[in-house]
Amino acid sequence: MSNNQQNFAINMSAKLIASLIVSTILCLNGCATTPKTAENEKDPYENFNRSVYKFNDKVDGYVAKPISDGYRYITPQFIQTGVYNFYNNLKNVNVVINDALQAKFSQGAQDTGRLALNTTLGLAGIFDVAKNIGWEQNEEDFDQTLATWGVPSGSYLVIPIFGPTTFRGVPGAAFDTAANPATYVGGAVNVVSLINTRANADGALKFIDEAALDPYIFTRESFLQWRNNLATDGKYQASYGPDLDIETEDNTPKKDTNK
Amino acid sequence: MFLRYLKFTIVLINLIIPTTALFAQDNSAATAKQVVEKFQADLISVMKNGKQLGYAGRYSSLESAVTNSHDLPKIARVIVGKEWEKLSEDQQKKLEDLIVRLSIASYAHNFKDYAGESFTYDSEEETTRGGVLVHSHFNIPNDKPVKFDYMLKETGPSWRIINIVANGVSDLALKRSEYTSILQKEGFDSLVSKIDGKINDYSKL
Repeated sequence: MSNNQQNFAINMSAKLIASLIVSTILCLNGCATTPKTAENEKDPYENFNRSVYKFNDKVDGYVAKPISDGYRYITPQFIQTGVYNFYNNLKNVNVVINDALQAKFSQGAQDTGRLALNTTLGLAGIFDVAKNIGWEQNEEDFDQTLATWGVPSGSYLVIPIFGPTTFRGVPGAAFDTAANPATYVGGAVNVVSLINTRANADGALKFIDEAALDPYIFTRESFLQWRNNLATDGKYQASYGPDLDIETEDNTPKKDTNK
Repeated sequence: MFLRYLKFTIVLINLIIPTTALFAQDNSAATAKQVVEKFQADLISVMKNGKQLGYAGRYSSLESAVTNSHDLPKIARVIVGKEWEKLSEDQQKKLEDLIVRLSIASYAHNFKDYAGESFTYDSEEETTRGGVLVHSHFNIPNDKPVKFDYMLKETGPSWRIINIVANGVSDLALKRSEYTSILQKEGFDSLVSKIDGKINDYSKL
């Protein structure tokens, strides 16, 4: 692929992302009269989000899954692992940047070492050498950084193609996309990245199909709790908060539990 | 990224649900930590023999493991929130029964084999509401461990698990959102039908 073609691909990708986000925001404004469900203030655009969720599900079923299945069928497992490791290593650039933005200097030092080790001894990240010496991958992104800076998450949002996020997650994802070297490598590499991401999500999506009574809510609740847990480094415990006040939910008398 | 992470988180917590207090006497002297560790040991044991046991065997074995460690009545009430009071006595009994069967069925389906997994106890702490939190993690070979926090309350003479939080995702909160939404929008019969369908699917998959 020539430089012009690469630039064209990057520009088109950026325009596609921008247009999807802008159209989503515009549509949300249009949907501002959507009645808010009183019991669920975190998802005031549920009707809109459900529509996008269904759309994404169709796209996944008709396009992404068949391509992903084909990729998994023709690609040996060790190559799939290598591809996953490669993109995961590139993502470590984001992790290191966000470590610094969140003033996590000790963790940042290890993540920098992880990136350096896997990029060199791990042959451009194809092998996760750092994991073998106990340097586990940390999850840091700009959405978490914004949370650390005190920016509230805002309402839940489902974006066409990209899936679940929040209002805070949109600029977070934009920053992370800009900071990820894979964004600038070329269109073909980004396509492989998308296929790889979908292939790795196959087990989770299958599980949601099997376990969820309402896949939309199951996905939303899992996503929001998972993001809250990451943003607070595990300090947020949804189950112990006032929204799940177990004592007020039953009529059994309190007992002395001081054992 | 979210979905990949979710795989190991949700696969486990969704299954670790409740049961009845019929076997309360078995653990009358057990501490919260002991209840959790016994349950985890039972789970690993079933996984190790999963293939030989088959679905029916796993279901049978896990039935006692789950019922000896969880508090079904409390979980059933929390899962449907304020909707619980709107249900008739028969409906409440039906829901409890379904939750037990769904939990065991999903365990039997998902914990069908063993590849070196293990649980490790980390610590425990008392909550302000008189409960106990047992912190542990689930070790998966060649993957990141999954953090498991068990919340236990006293039920009669023993401690019982009432919630499991895996990597920050609460099983109770997840189920309460789902179940209350279905109850409010579609009614009790629809909820029963959906749970029955899941139980049936697990036995066939």
